[in-house]
Amino acid sequence: MGDLVNPRVGRLARRGDLNRGPVLEFLAFVLDGELYAVQLTKIREILSPPPITEVPRSAPEILGVCSVRGLLVTVIDLRRRLGVTAATVSRRSRILLAESDQGEVIGLLVDEVRQVIRLSESDVELASAVLGGDVAEHFIGIGRAPGAEFILLDLASVVPA
Amino acid sequence: MIEITDKTRDEFFSEAQEIIETLSRNLLSIDAMEKQGRTDPSLVNEAFRAVHTLKGLAGLFGATRIGSISHTLEDLLDDVRLGRQPLTVAVLDVLFVAVEAYHRLLAAEKSSTDEPIPVLDELLTRLAAIGGAVPSRPTQQDEYDLDPGMLAVLTEYEEHRLRSNIEQGLNLYRLRVAFDLNTIDKALEEIKDRAKLHGEIITYLPTGDVGGGDTIDLDLMMASSEDLAVLVGALGADNIVIEAVPRRRRPTVRPMGVPAVAVVIEQSEPAPAAGGGLSVRREDEVPVPVVEHHEASLRSVTQTVRVDIRKLDHLMNIVGELAIVRSALSRLAERLRAEGQRQFGSELMRMHRSFDRRLAELQDGILEVRMVPLGQVFDRLARVVRQISRDAGKEIRLVITGAETEIDKLIVEELSDPLMHMIRNAIDHGIEKSDVRASVGKPTAGTIALNAFQKGNHVMIEIEDDGAGIDEAVLLTKAVAMGKVGTAEASDLSRDELLALIFLPGLSTRDAASDLSGRGVGMDVVKTNIGKLGGVIDVQSERGIGTKLTITLPITLAIVSALIVDVAGRTYAIPLATVSEAIRLDESGVRVVDGREVMTLRGSTLPLCRLHRLLRLDVPPGWRRQFVVVAAVGNRRLGLVVDDLFGQQDIVIKPLGRSLREVRGFSGATELGDQRVGLVIDAAALIDELLTGFETRERSGGRRWVTS
Repeated sequence: MGDLVNPRVGRLARRGDLNRGPVLEFLAFVLDGELYAVQLTKIREILSPPPITEVPRSAPEILGVCSVRGLLVTVIDLRRRLGVTAATVSRRSRILLAESDQGEVIGLLVDEVRQVIRLSESDVELASAVLGGDVAEHFIGIGRAPGAEFILLDLASVVPA
Repeated sequence: MIEITDKTRDEFFSEAQEIIETLSRNLLSIDAMEKQGRTDPSLVNEAFRAVHTLKGLAGLFGATRIGSISHTLEDLLDDVRLGRQPLTVAVLDVLFVAVEAYHRLLAAEKSSTDEPIPVLDELLTRLAAIGGAVPSRPTQQDEYDLDPGMLAVLTEYEEHRLRSNIEQGLNLYRLRVAFDLNTIDKALEEIKDRAKLHGEIITYLPTGDVGGGDTIDLDLMMASSEDLAVLVGALGADNIVIEAVPRRRRPTVRPMGVPAVAVVIEQSEPAPAAGGGLSVRREDEVPVPVVEHHEASLRSVTQTVRVDIRKLDHLMNIVGELAIVRSALSRLAERLRAEGQRQFGSELMRMHRSFDRRLAELQDGILEVRMVPLGQVFDRLARVVRQISRDAGKEIRLVITGAETEIDKLIVEELSDPLMHMIRNAIDHGIEKSDVRASVGKPTAGTIALNAFQKGNHVMIEIEDDGAGIDEAVLLTKAVAMGKVGTAEASDLSRDELLALIFLPGLSTRDAASDLSGRGVGMDVVKTNIGKLGGVIDVQSERGIGTKLTITLPITLAIVSALIVDVAGRTYAIPLATVSEAIRLDESGVRVVDGREVMTLRGSTLPLCRLHRLLRLDVPPGWRRQFVVVAAVGNRRLGLVVDDLFGQQDIVIKPLGRSLREVRGFSGATELGDQRVGLVIDAAALIDELLTGFETRERSGGRRWVTS
């Protein structure tokens, strides 16, 4: 995963550690041209999409099922889940494996995986302050790293219970 | 307290579960013996130990409610085994309630809820009612010359057993047995087992005499009603010397090699210490040798391990993946040969064949490990029968055969509720009250037979009662009243079709919903649950003779044979257990009845389902549907129209994740090779979904009844 870390951002973030309290690592990715991030510890694995079998009569945001080394994984189109347009699988598409509260392993299809960013509390502007209403349910807030802003996603709210 | 991880928690649950089940079996044996007026103190002792272990476990895992009832029960059982509390039916009842409470508590503990459990309150009330009723023992005196060394180390329990045996006027014997040190464990168990047939071994101790070389001498104290000669005949062997322990005031033969003492068994007026009442009067002061006392060995004697079934599932997954490697190997070998690399090709083919064989063995091995005897669930049923028959005031004899029949662990778990329900039905609706039985010349005790046996790749379970049988006239009246059957066709139904009405939702032959069964949730749920396991259920009944329900189940769910089909360019698997045949579709034979396509197959109507339409799949242009896979579940049939048949394959079905639980029509997915996943079609669910309602409409059109 080393190649995912943008060395510059990492260094800058580290320098700030000294006076900014506890730092969390987030994985940044792209959805429909926007930068998003989720807490890194919640992601088990990043995969190139294997063949996905569609499941007829399932919810529209469910892309289908695939097998990850013998484990059956339900794959969700994160773009549709968040109400953006439907995804198209490209060379850069990745599946993030996350575990739901019930222990089910879920795959989340994203357009592209970027880097690992380190944010402390003061870098995060909470959603309640920025966004209102329904949108806020999926988001923790906005994370500001040097040179970029990320929409911080609350993984528990997008992974089906 | 130990650190509680999920893993240790799981182990706690499975161990506690096991102990509770053993306890339950134990109580059933005690109950059975009690009915014959006998008691086996070792069973009571085992029950005591089970509760004791449970208390320790609960403490370790902070399961306080389990801990505290275990503590109370332990006291009760201790009183019972020490004779302070007679083993009455009331006590047994409380113990059975306790097993029930344990199950509830464990379930509550598992889901981490602490909502009140009604059965627990009942238990505590009943326990309180029993407590304190310590009966006075009749005065009885007798005296034996016994080894003070032996007496000094008797546990309270052994003292009690000694006393109670003497009170019953049994003779005391001493068996001096020379054991080989290497085989002492086994040999001791063996002799205990044999002695059990003639009396009771109260205690055993090393004699202190050092035997020659690898042997050790033990003195076994035994109480028996039989004469010395009989015992010698039954138990005597080269290494066993049996002597009667002489009564006091008889010519004294110093029996145990040390100065004799007299034991006076007397009434304890106000019992000084728990169980006190045995006093030892020494004729002369002899230092009591300190002898290590042999507690019952805690070391497990069985050579088994407990395994989480998920670990086996994981192994099965690996086997599935290896099967994919296997087919890749075979393709590679073919290619090498085709490209002229004959030698490499043949070598690789040989390796492939050897790999194939081993893999098949591995798969069989894992399947075998998943198998557990049905006895596990039958034991639970036996407990329920006891409870229900008492509640219903009916005398029931439960006869179990084939408890050793093995079936997949997952199936066993799911079986217990349906079986329970059927047994309740048998007792509640089947077996008549004893006066009614007597008036028709039947034995007053009703019999329920639970038979299991293997038949090919299936396991059959029969639940048979000798009760009143099903009144099909009542069934029909109800079904008509509920609008499930039209009055017109009512007279057309055959007896089998009438009996099949018990599987209709909401049908109960009892007007007053009883506590035991009824309430309209009945055999239809049983049928659905059995269906989920890939099983079917049939009913036979004879008025006045009885009812027999037969369940047919697959031996395992782990691997099934399936028909691989193509629907609109997608690959699906249909388990062969639900396929009766596959035929070419003749479009000209398709008619539309009441908005649904049907065809005629050998004279009867077969409803059709075009899978691509049901699943809303885009059909590539120019596609032609070609085959009908006839799915049959019970006696309902549905023709699934597919585009191509790819053949038969053994598949491992994996359940779809929770996030897909709303999706109907699929029982899971399976790997097909090349990393591809295919969905497994749940024919039973499709039949339920598509045919329910349709049949009724079709019937009212004057056609023949097509389903159960």
